[in-house]
Amino acid sequence: MSLSNVSRRGFIKTAGLASGGLVIGISFPTSAKSVDGNEIKAAFNPNGFIHLAENGDTLIYCGRCEMGQGVSTALPSAVADEMEADWGRVTVKQADGNEEIYGSQATGGSASIREMYQPMREAGAAAKLMLIAAAAKVWKVKPKDCYAEAHFVVNKNNNKKLNYGELASIAATMDVPSSPKLKTKDEFRYIGKSLPRHDQGKAVRGELIYGVDTKLPGLKYAAIVHCPVLGGHLKSLDSSAALKMKGVSDVVEISRFNVPYGSIGGVAVVANNSWIAQQALKKLKIEWELGSNKIYDTKTYKQQLVKNVEKPAQLAVERGDVNKAFKEAKHRVKATYTGGHLSHAPMEPNASVVWVNDDSCEVWASTQSPADIQKVLAQYLKREPKDILVHVMMAGGAFGRKFKCDYVQEAAVISEKVKAPIQLTWSREEDMRTGYYHSISAQHIEASLDDDANITGWLHRAAFPSISSLFDPSLDRAPANSLGEINTYPFGIANFRSETGEAKAHTRIGWYRAVYAIFYGFACSTFADELAHKAGKDPLAFLTQAFANNTISDLDVAAKRCQGALSLAAEKAGWGKKLPKGQAIGIAVHYSFRSYVAMAVHVEVINDVIKVLNVDCAIDCGQILNTDGATAQMEGAVVMGMSLALSTEVTFKEGAVVNSNFHDYPVMRIKDMPNVRVHIVESDEGPTGLGEPGVAPFAPALSNAVFAASGKRYRDIPFKPMTV
Amino acid sequence: MNKTIVINDIEHTINVDSDMPLLWFLRDDLEITGTKYGCGTGLCGACTVHVDGQAVRSCITTVGSVVGKRITTIEGLSENADHPLQKAWLNNNVPQCGYCQAGQIMNAASFLATNAAPTEDEITNAMQGNICRCGTYQRIKTAISEAADEMRKEA
Repeated sequence: MSLSNVSRRGFIKTAGLASGGLVIGISFPTSAKSVDGNEIKAAFNPNGFIHLAENGDTLIYCGRCEMGQGVSTALPSAVADEMEADWGRVTVKQADGNEEIYGSQATGGSASIREMYQPMREAGAAAKLMLIAAAAKVWKVKPKDCYAEAHFVVNKNNNKKLNYGELASIAATMDVPSSPKLKTKDEFRYIGKSLPRHDQGKAVRGELIYGVDTKLPGLKYAAIVHCPVLGGHLKSLDSSAALKMKGVSDVVEISRFNVPYGSIGGVAVVANNSWIAQQALKKLKIEWELGSNKIYDTKTYKQQLVKNVEKPAQLAVERGDVNKAFKEAKHRVKATYTGGHLSHAPMEPNASVVWVNDDSCEVWASTQSPADIQKVLAQYLKREPKDILVHVMMAGGAFGRKFKCDYVQEAAVISEKVKAPIQLTWSREEDMRTGYYHSISAQHIEASLDDDANITGWLHRAAFPSISSLFDPSLDRAPANSLGEINTYPFGIANFRSETGEAKAHTRIGWYRAVYAIFYGFACSTFADELAHKAGKDPLAFLTQAFANNTISDLDVAAKRCQGALSLAAEKAGWGKKLPKGQAIGIAVHYSFRSYVAMAVHVEVINDVIKVLNVDCAIDCGQILNTDGATAQMEGAVVMGMSLALSTEVTFKEGAVVNSNFHDYPVMRIKDMPNVRVHIVESDEGPTGLGEPGVAPFAPALSNAVFAASGKRYRDIPFKPMTV
Repeated sequence: MNKTIVINDIEHTINVDSDMPLLWFLRDDLEITGTKYGCGTGLCGACTVHVDGQAVRSCITTVGSVVGKRITTIEGLSENADHPLQKAWLNNNVPQCGYCQAGQIMNAASFLATNAAPTEDEITNAMQGNICRCGTYQRIKTAISEAADEMRKEA
């Protein structure tokens, strides 16, 4: 990665930037290869920037998409820290879609802070050194005679000060240092502290602009209905009644986009008000040819998945000799676990504003990947991606759904057709049934124990329609590499075998916050608890022994860090203390997205009614950028984990989703909120993510707690599905 | 005769059908977008506004039913985001994505106006209709409690 002084370049025309001042660009090496296969040295590609104006105002751009996870505060604060900028002088701007300038803007996989921490720090540090050099020039002293502090450079000899604004234009003439020295941990001003989010002032005033909020002159409003079954298509359409309604102007048919995150197509109504469009939609007379997925019934499908994992399946990974271990085993335990589909159900349903003109295409959308919007719309409109201007708006929750911008593609089709800017809002019902769902799953685990409670063998079968099915619908099961989290589980058992069972996809499958960690974490940590009880051992002691027994050197660090998080959560929860009748604590730890999260869940179970009292979370994600943000992520992960563990499941009948709104998709509400306490494992490791890792350990910790409190073992999530 | 409605102290003429939900008159006709659409059926609370000071779900409240009434949206709750709830919300860093927060605050404001010293149970009962998918419930509870304390002090 390299830094560049782009102060004098005229290409920065973004509104809101004062003229003059210091501008820093960052470039990531682009690995382009020339015809003969040699790497081409990267052309100048500034990547994200800081702008310091002559009045001291500081703009910092955030390339990754803000969806409530706090990235647009965390990353800019790392810049400000190294720059010794006063956060009070900083304005954060969300970058438009432009990966040439900002590098990858795909926001997901809990990777943004991990990937951008170092580059952001270096940019800030470089700016600081240039400002110091500028002051040194003014005072005719050496840079080492100066230091920077909170938007000023100070002369050590006489304590004279120059503020950053005064120095900006001189700093702009300086060379950019190539490897600027970074702060040590004890020098951090903002990193590792709890800076409030830059956007929350607007949030409490109702002034944040989401994808669904943008207004334009001549804006029209659209509503859409999609085929309820994947792979089906429109058979007949009578739009006469809809078109007669006052306020309705058009009915537009949208064809399927044949790309992995493409719209499945549908029929849209355009009107002068969203509600009128929705009412008119109901008057469309539509017949669908449902297609072959109309047989999809999740009740029978799940039963089949269970059958598929309770018999030999296709080998994924094998090491040692599981059969031998089982033959020689003193004790054998086996269990089957299932999970249902989940819908992301963010509070903001899919919506976007798109304006297609002959010579321009402008998008205002909540999205997790503006580059994908540029690519797909460019292909559709037969233009260049750089001609598709994507404004990344605040997302009202995403959790993985807004990585797939079918709702933007549709708005573009409508806008092009009716020659007006279009705001398309999916109804909640449409959002619920036209998703990219978390996989339905079944897992079967068999393990052997010796007399000393050591796990001597582990066989693990999983069957679930995978995300890979989006890219290859012919897949009849999850590919072997989708079982990676099981294969590298930090127990590191020597005799191990994993198998993937048959599971064809009959709906779109997508990344749902924590992805496969949800069902892998549930199965592994619940089964480990079952092993502990079978061995007659305290679960914490059993897990401690299991991690200590790890035989795979590559997993040593993971095993240790899992143990560290687990011990901390258990200790803070008061593990081992006597509790009133009907109360118990269950523990679980899971390693996912390079971070380690343990939970100790304290429940009270009376007559099969589960009440979660306290949850102690321990997180090990390396250096934390914002402790308040990290805590907030864990509180949110408990709520999401609790929803999916207890009550929410998307079911299909005759190919279509049965659930429609929040009455039959009962997400968790405030009355059930437990007391969540978050404990941080201090670490000097680089930062790893926290958007997703907190979700996985809740469900197994809950199953373990409920078992300890009541003797009832839940192996199927959700524990208490609604009969829909 | 023109039907009118007062929104945040400004009078507006109603030029839509009386069966249109207030939410969509606010958002699409008047372009006041702080009030959000979450479910359209009164299940999630994102659309909460005040009608004569009382919280209602604007997605299931028709324009016709509020003719001549005074509506307050999040934009009109205070002059300077200085309602005790807004201050407590900032003090406790409540919002994550923020989409549900206007509805949360408006619902809480109406509740606190009728119950100055709520217990924790009374708070969660009152707020049970407002969903947050980011999971900010713990902080919402703390913020409402804090705001109630401040409002009692001011009284």
